Amino acid sequence: MPSMSSESLEKYTLIITEKPDAANKIANALDENGKAKKIITNNVPNYQAYNKGKIVVVPALGHLYTIASKQKGKRDYPVFDYQWVPRYQAERKTSLIRIWLKVISDLAKKAETFVDACDFDIEGSIIGYNILKYACNGKEQVAKRMKYSTLTKEELQQSYSNLLPHLDFALVEAGLTRHEVDWLYGINLSRALTQAVQRSSGHYSTFSTGRVQGPTLKFVEKREKNIQAFVPTPYRIIMAKVETNDIVLDVEYEKPLETLSEAIAVKAACKTKEGLIEAVNISTFEKNPPVPFDLTTLQSEAYRVFRYTPMRTSNVLQSLYLNAMISYPRTSSQKLPASIGYQTILKKLSKAPTYTKAATELLAKPLLKPNEGKKFDAAHPAIYPTGNLPKKPLDTVDRNIFDLVVKRFFAVFAEPALKQSINAKVNINENIFLYSAERTMFQGWIKFYNPYVQFKEISVPELAEGEKVKVKRVALNLHFTKPLARFNPRSLLMKMEKEQIGTKATRATTIQTLFNRKYLSGTANFAVTDIGSKVTEVLSKYCPTIISPELTRNLELEMEAIQQGKQTKQSVLQTATATLSTVTATLKEKEEAIGTKLSLAILQLNMQERNVGACPECAGGELIILRSKKSGKRFVGCTNYFEGKCKNSFPLPQKGTIKSLGNCKCCGFPIITVYGRGKNPWKFCLNQNCPAKREPKR
Amino acid sequence: MEILPQPKLSRKERAKEMKCKVCDLEVSEEGFCELHLKAYGNILMKFEVWKKAFDVTWSQYLVRIQKNSLTGEWAKDVAKYLIEEELKDV
Repeated sequence: MPSMSSESLEKYTLIITEKPDAANKIANALDENGKAKKIITNNVPNYQAYNKGKIVVVPALGHLYTIASKQKGKRDYPVFDYQWVPRYQAERKTSLIRIWLKVISDLAKKAETFVDACDFDIEGSIIGYNILKYACNGKEQVAKRMKYSTLTKEELQQSYSNLLPHLDFALVEAGLTRHEVDWLYGINLSRALTQAVQRSSGHYSTFSTGRVQGPTLKFVEKREKNIQAFVPTPYRIIMAKVETNDIVLDVEYEKPLETLSEAIAVKAACKTKEGLIEAVNISTFEKNPPVPFDLTTLQSEAYRVFRYTPMRTSNVLQSLYLNAMISYPRTSSQKLPASIGYQTILKKLSKAPTYTKAATELLAKPLLKPNEGKKFDAAHPAIYPTGNLPKKPLDTVDRNIFDLVVKRFFAVFAEPALKQSINAKVNINENIFLYSAERTMFQGWIKFYNPYVQFKEISVPELAEGEKVKVKRVALNLHFTKPLARFNPRSLLMKMEKEQIGTKATRATTIQTLFNRKYLSGTANFAVTDIGSKVTEVLSKYCPTIISPELTRNLELEMEAIQQGKQTKQSVLQTATATLSTVTATLKEKEEAIGTKLSLAILQLNMQERNVGACPECAGGELIILRSKKSGKRFVGCTNYFEGKCKNSFPLPQKGTIKSLGNCKCCGFPIITVYGRGKNPWKFCLNQNCPAKREPKR
Repeated sequence: MEILPQPKLSRKERAKEMKCKVCDLEVSEEGFCELHLKAYGNILMKFEVWKKAFDVTWSQYLVRIQKNSLTGEWAKDVAKYLIEEELKDV
């Protein structure tokens, strides 16, 4: 190791990573002694390591640069002049970024070689490119690129030994285009809506929409309209219970019946004690193992199994990736190349008692071949466990997701399951009833993926043609068709993927933004709020192209073409600018009508949020949150006060967000919850003399 | 054909004509806003199936769909309005 005196003059390789955790992992993996020196410069961590020369690893904090309008201070639209600027120049509360960039710039001055080690995807490529271009004084053309899919020591060392000669400029170009197009759509449309409301009501409220947000909201809104206008269709099903070999089977009449008379006639005709099995069809089929996880499938599966939202799953995956326990999660690949080392991973996993049995069984196979899916991603393989086990106990959520990834990895290498399907026709007095069931003959991969897969296993007797059955019961059941289910986090994510809107990395965030803007409500079943509905209505009426999935899908295809070198950034931006010029002109022309509609929706939302329930003292009055003109303090009062009919009022805590929770079971007065920052929610009945408050606490 | 003079409507009546029969939204067709018109269309479309299934009259059908938990809120609004209109006629 060089002496301290020569250290400051020594030239080094500067490695830039996306996050501090990644910098720590990379520095320690590359250091000859496995222990890099951590230095804190102005609160910015950076690491010194030695690997055939001095290395300095400095992290970013995600995106350090962003797009901003060249015209500062003006909030008018349309805006087509923009530039990339450090985030502290465009966003509030980002002063840390200024210091961070200063440290990177200082470190870059003494560096000889530059390596971009940010995640190998669109976002990572832009983060590295911008830092090299702006903070490292134009080093983006000479920098080398580290490509890796896991943060394991072996892969990082291998990646550093085989550096790519330059950045993936096509990927960078596609990324820059995506950011710039999204910025253009977002800023212009959001400003159009916000200004329309401001001019109409005189109040400022932020309205946002964008290239992906608009169509996503439209999906939910369209579904909601269908549900609200739905009228069910009645139909009748005749079910019978028949017994054979001491086992009772449920059989169903061959078709649903529309009329009551027809249904009664069939039921009456089935009043007999015996039936006959007319035909039995038994077939055996293989059920292939599941395919490896890409991000969307994993988010969807995590919601199905654990009810974790895509956003939550995404955050857990990022943390597991940074701990080198799983591979890079933002992938759309369903392929697992042999180069990841199936056997090594299984051997490492077998050290955990929970996985020993499954891993050993798979290792005994003569050939390990995964059942791969169709999706392919040039940058990364599917998500897989690296074999590294947690060094300290994981919390429940992390443990569940890790277990899901591991068991899925096992399942893809296992044998197909063997299932048998049994279909039979039962004749009850010349009326045909159908029976169908499935049973598992050989578990195969199901055993490895348990408890995350469950098939209903029922005991099926051996059925033979010509066999007589006892008719135990015949029942006529009335049913109604159901409306389509509301979107949930899983189905909305799948819909976005099917319609090819957004990217694997941004879809979960888009859904979250719709909630933050109060366009959507609900947790398990999404419903559009009045504001969300009005925004969609306005956009559908005045600029339908913006919320059509076609526009955003075409843009995605164009960006893919840029990545493949078949399309240029300039041409895509020109198309976007032309579309936006027409749309913003229309929006400006209709500003008054748009403003009126949206202002009304805000007013209704405000009223809904202020309303805590019906007044228990007067008829027709509503209790709402009011603010005293004299003291400025908030309280609950009755709407009938303004007509001189009711003086009912209640004091309120002056801080925190208030939400109504229905009525008290003891006294019928409204119950509210106060959410304060850093405090547990406080739930109480407005009635100070509520009997529940007098009861001694048990 | 001679066009008969239309009776003049007061401002209040004109404003009422512009609003949906069920809610305060702008009228689209048949006196309903776009949302309630969709529900009205569904109500008309499903009557034949309900008639076959339960042998019900139009009024009985409206009452039944209004009580059905699977019926959407806008469809219930329209059914309620149509029931009230029928009662007025009686």
